[in-house]
Amino acid sequence: MATAAAEFLRPSLGKRVSQKRYPLFLVAPAFLTLFLLTIYPFIYMVWISFHKWPILPTLPRDFVGLATYSFIFRDPEFWNSVGVTATYMFLSVGLQLSLGFFLALLVAAPNPVLRWFRLPFIIPVFVSPVVVGLIWKFMLGYDLGIINYLLRSIGLEGVNWLGDQTNALLAVVLVDVWQWTPFTFLILHAGLSSLPSEPYEAAALDGASRFQMLRYITLPMITPVLTVALLFRVLDAFKLFDVIYILTRGGPGNATNLLAYNIWRKGFFENQLGYAAALSVIMIIIATVLALVLIRVMARQDRE
Amino acid sequence: MMHRQLSTIELTIRIAVLIVFFLFFMFPFYWIVATSLKTQVDAFAIPPKWFFDVTFENYIDVLSDTDFLNQAKNSLIASLANALLTLALALPAAYSMSRYKTGGKDLLFWFLSIRMIPPIVGAIPLFVLAAQYRLIDTYVILPVLYIILNMPFAVWMLKSFIDEIPREIDESALIDGCTNLAVIRRMILPLIKPGLVATVVFCFILAWNEFLLANIFTRRVAVTLPVGISKFITEKQILWGYITAAATLATLPPIVFLWFFQRNLIRGLTLGAIR
Repeated sequence: MATAAAEFLRPSLGKRVSQKRYPLFLVAPAFLTLFLLTIYPFIYMVWISFHKWPILPTLPRDFVGLATYSFIFRDPEFWNSVGVTATYMFLSVGLQLSLGFFLALLVAAPNPVLRWFRLPFIIPVFVSPVVVGLIWKFMLGYDLGIINYLLRSIGLEGVNWLGDQTNALLAVVLVDVWQWTPFTFLILHAGLSSLPSEPYEAAALDGASRFQMLRYITLPMITPVLTVALLFRVLDAFKLFDVIYILTRGGPGNATNLLAYNIWRKGFFENQLGYAAALSVIMIIIATVLALVLIRVMARQDRE
Repeated sequence: MMHRQLSTIELTIRIAVLIVFFLFFMFPFYWIVATSLKTQVDAFAIPPKWFFDVTFENYIDVLSDTDFLNQAKNSLIASLANALLTLALALPAAYSMSRYKTGGKDLLFWFLSIRMIPPIVGAIPLFVLAAQYRLIDTYVILPVLYIILNMPFAVWMLKSFIDEIPREIDESALIDGCTNLAVIRRMILPLIKPGLVATVVFCFILAWNEFLLANIFTRRVAVTLPVGISKFITEKQILWGYITAAATLATLPPIVFLWFFQRNLIRGLTLGAIR
């Protein structure tokens, strides 16, 4: 091994000790920087959450202990936000996974024409969410938007996308599906490409239909990849902010007031950093649970 | 997966369905670019004008009447500074984790878990701290904050590139009398050059596109493009002429990069999910 070879060539004891620490020195800058930027602020945030904390430093910061938390859990606005976030995540991630899987299956064949479709399918991921939000805000306009024009030109009614509570949430789902289906497509595409061909050959010999192959070979073998894609998307969907900010500002009413947006609004719009900090603590606890599940799953796959 | 030859009918059906999705994913881009090249009247014509006289009015206006160029400069500074900073921190860490298994799986997944933190959660305490140190709206704050967003990607990406280089190369260099640092500089760096470039480009794109933190941590001086563009939604009206032109220009760098570095950028995006 590299270390062993190096130590063999450096017999002095002092050097051997520094040799042992060398890998740690290499990791230290990255680790300490991230630690300072995340763990320390997190502890500080818990402290802030115990206070009434206006943004202006001249205003008084009163210690209120856990009062903010008990208020949050009785606040219908918070529970509405939880419900809206859960609904959006369920619809959005569900659609992204099904659509991504469908598209990955479509291009999975040794044909050069099919391969051309890969690049266009991944572009949306690399575009700023602000631009994505603006593009769709433009297209979803009630009177002058192109989407309602197309709907009307085939004889349907125009939809009040951003002005109606249910439609606004669906619009957010639509935009998220547009931007992130490429991601699930990519992961599942790679997953499908790496499946071994022997089970299919054996199944073909046994006269299995293509649906049976999909159901009994592809699906079980792709499940681990599907799980990783699911968890990545769940955690990312949980963070959604930019698109809400551009598209709906949490409205109409509180119909698209996702957790992340709600925190921004409380903290930086309504000037209640203590309240926003308490919400953040709650949100990060949920995110941690989700992340632990993801890491558990990924680590298990790594071993296999 | 096993691949049979597709029958002509099936291939045709597949391509037809794919074209529908191609339109779904690509039409919005076409529409925003087309609108940016229309006059105000044509842009909102019903029925929409599929054929129109191309005008660069919106581009001239957004470049001359707004702060666009200055914000583009700010975005460039923040993204580039952050990409280089992140690389400088992540490269030694990735090397160490690849060659010495430093910290094992735990450290690797610790880096990954940072990626899962919702940025708005970090923004609250970091805002209070940054205000105390008078860092709000400076050129320092965004490159530093974006380390949180980019470091997990950079570490995982670089590690995957270094993993692909046989260890024997390090060992033979060590036996030839190279010092530890010389091994990284003279052997590893040249070999992972595509990986280094891809990592820098990846971090650059993420920082270039970032909105939430930029919106909170800048005011007037260090405002970046996404924040600037979002300000074209004013209380009274939405300035679609500015927006379509500015959005088109701001989207060009990521698309160009994606075109050139496609494979390696995808590797970064999907982190551990695709090896």
